[in-house]
Amino acid sequence: MDSALIGQSLVSGLGIGCVYGLIGIGFCVIYNASGIVNFAQGAFVMLGGMITHVLLVRGQLPYIAAIVLSVLVVALLGVVIERLVVRPLWKRNAPMFVMILATLAAQIVIERLTFLAVDDQPKTLPVFTDLPPIMVGGVAVNIQSLWIVAGSLAIVGLLALFFKGTRTGKAMRACAINREAAALQGIPVHGMLALAFGLSAGLGAIAGIMLTPTQYTAFNVGVPFAISGFIAAIIGGFGRPFGAFLGGLTLGVVQSVAILAFGAGLKTVVALSVLLLFLFVRPSGILGAAK
Amino acid sequence: MTACLKVEGATKTFGGLTAVNAVSFEVKPRSVTAIIGPNGAGKTTLFNLISGALPLSDGRVLFEGVDVTAEEPEAKAARGLIRTFQLVKLFPELSAVENVKVGFHLRSRGGLLSALLRPRWVRQMEAEIDGRARELLDLVGLGTAADRPASALSYGQGRLLEVARALAAGPKLLLLDEPAAGLNADESARLASLIRRIAEDGTAVLLIEHDMHLVMNTADDIVVVDFGKKIAQGAPDRIREDPAVIAAYLG
Amino acid sequence: MTSSPSTTLREAARAPARGSLRGHAARAAPWLIAACVVGYALVVGGYAATVVAFALIYAIFVSGLNIFMGLTAQVSFGQSAFAAIGGYASAVLTTEYEWGLLPAMGAGLAGALAFAFVVGYPTLRLKGHYLSMATLAIGLITYEIAVQWDSVTQGYLGISGIPPLGIAGYEATTDRQILIVLSVCVIATVLAVARIRRSRVGRAFAGLAGSEEAARALGINVARYKLLSFLLSAGFGSLAGSLFVHVVGYVSPEVFSLHMIILSFTMLYVGGIGTIAGPVVGALVVSVLPETFRAFRDYQDLAYGTALILLLIFAPRGLAGLFTAIEEKRSP
Repeated sequence: MDSALIGQSLVSGLGIGCVYGLIGIGFCVIYNASGIVNFAQGAFVMLGGMITHVLLVRGQLPYIAAIVLSVLVVALLGVVIERLVVRPLWKRNAPMFVMILATLAAQIVIERLTFLAVDDQPKTLPVFTDLPPIMVGGVAVNIQSLWIVAGSLAIVGLLALFFKGTRTGKAMRACAINREAAALQGIPVHGMLALAFGLSAGLGAIAGIMLTPTQYTAFNVGVPFAISGFIAAIIGGFGRPFGAFLGGLTLGVVQSVAILAFGAGLKTVVALSVLLLFLFVRPSGILGAAK
Repeated sequence: MTACLKVEGATKTFGGLTAVNAVSFEVKPRSVTAIIGPNGAGKTTLFNLISGALPLSDGRVLFEGVDVTAEEPEAKAARGLIRTFQLVKLFPELSAVENVKVGFHLRSRGGLLSALLRPRWVRQMEAEIDGRARELLDLVGLGTAADRPASALSYGQGRLLEVARALAAGPKLLLLDEPAAGLNADESARLASLIRRIAEDGTAVLLIEHDMHLVMNTADDIVVVDFGKKIAQGAPDRIREDPAVIAAYLG
Repeated sequence: MTSSPSTTLREAARAPARGSLRGHAARAAPWLIAACVVGYALVVGGYAATVVAFALIYAIFVSGLNIFMGLTAQVSFGQSAFAAIGGYASAVLTTEYEWGLLPAMGAGLAGALAFAFVVGYPTLRLKGHYLSMATLAIGLITYEIAVQWDSVTQGYLGISGIPPLGIAGYEATTDRQILIVLSVCVIATVLAVARIRRSRVGRAFAGLAGSEEAARALGINVARYKLLSFLLSAGFGSLAGSLFVHVVGYVSPEVFSLHMIILSFTMLYVGGIGTIAGPVVGALVVSVLPETFRAFRDYQDLAYGTALILLLIFAPRGLAGLFTAIEEKRSP
């Protein structure tokens, strides 16, 4: 096979892998704070791109303002979902799958509301910087992919600083290790849960915004993204945010190579098969599960 | 007389910690044996090794002369080794009598087909199970609560229900993990006479218990463990005077 | 059907209100409501009959789901896979290969059971969100295969011209005939589930639902009964899928998408998870209510999703739970 083609697909795989990784981190942050798996994660990704598009096209805002505002709105929505859907169930000690079901239902509700508010047409965003692709040894690397990789690495770095260097970040980690003990230490556990949802939603939105210029967004793209992000989290060992990022990269590359080998039609089947393989053979992920 | 249960050098390590260290003892048929010891002495771990809930790091467990060390809990149960739990594990959605009926699993038969067709023998068996489940509830003093949901029972009643459910499985050896915890004085006295009666009816009983009154009144043989090791074994009178036991409990 | 007189008395004593008139009424209420809805559709026919027929098919699917989730307290977000296998087997075998209806249905059932057996072994060892995700993946993979394997399934185009329900020359072609056939199927399903629940098998399911550890300590082979519950659930799913394609006459992958999962869970929770009547009542209510607001077609999934969230938060026991709750409050 053409080596340039393989290089090409590896590069695009890394780009999309970063996005999966960010979504995976979102899953882990919420899971660590609450022990629940939030299936509305994909809705945040979709909304990030969608709200930016609406602000840009209908609101005539400058691109950067539209992006910032969109991330803030989605983060706020994350907090709202935590308050309205998750907390009542959490307080009642609802079974785990009831929580999953509720967030899945929230995903559907957000999807349909978006469909009603906008329409069912795919939307795209302009690339961040309009430059021709760079040629690296016969492989054309488009600039947006570089934005995605650089942006994702920056975010991962900031997150590491946040979790290791700030009081709030340390408090969130304490909740992840032992919620009861954290509560006894005077850490506001409910507040941390809301913060985790806000943070994950914001991460999802950023991932969506960076990706949309290379693909498109539509009301129904959320579920596939949520699943890819979840797979990333599983590969990385559930509950390890940075493992999830590596997991995302792995999945992105595997999927790109699979598209090359089997065609784009089977990319979801390949991703899901990777998931099942990990669940059946090594459910603790490549790094081993957290805790 | 061959031993009903024989534990040989049972050892369990968690990482660097040795929770149970080379414990050996026997349970004789038709007898009541109690395992006592301070909190954290490894009693429940020892129980989990015997029942199969945890794998042994070293040593053997023989039941009626057969090595059952590596068997799964359900396989041990099928041999007649039935346990209860320190934290009661009832089926909260079911009524008390239905909980006991689940206990008859090993002593009844029937799969999907007989469930769907419900032939005459199944109906007879079901009637018999229902009757015997109610008898067992009467035996533990829960006869009047038979149709109440298990989740509505008091803590002490839940414990007694678990004993009834275990009896339904037809144990040859009954393992009771702190059966008197949470029981009031009446219930505790009733439990003591029930344990004696179970043993006299031919089922050996092995129990972990903190209630010394109950232990001294029911046990034929007492195994004392501390820091995962057996420090004494003998009849209640001897254990009461054993200096090692007194030291373990006071120091 | 009953055994000795003493048992009958005791069985009656187990009912919520100890055999009182009110107790019987409370237990009969959901069935009466269901019978009324089906009766109305039989009389009116036409569109109402179509909607109720759809609901009855879902009643079978959700009853199957209820065996695994309600009686056995496990999780599967992928039961649509088995409906898809049943549905496509029926569709392809009757159109392409001109098989009879029952053999095609049987082949679908066998295929679904075989698939459930193969995926069930590794999947059911998982717990919690791993189990949820693995089953969801199985459902979605099946959907994707239905889309991609177009030499057999014809992809998004779907398969049309599937023959109607019928046995030995007699065909159910009118709305009313279809309704009667489906009602018989639902009654058979409900009876089967009810009998399973009060059998030794059902008690083993309830045992592992309550506490796997306690169930194992009583000698219940937890892995085997979980698999059995999964197979039963898959079997009903496959039958529902087959019935669907014969009643509608057409099948496409969209029938078995995530929408089906959300819809069936809404039905299960509206009716009451773990109850016998719940799936039937839930399927009827969830199918019929939106039809009375047909102007709001676009809002259907929105309504299902919102209703599901509200139910999970405020009424996790569903309508059937409501009937028993009322009864328990009234009786001393």
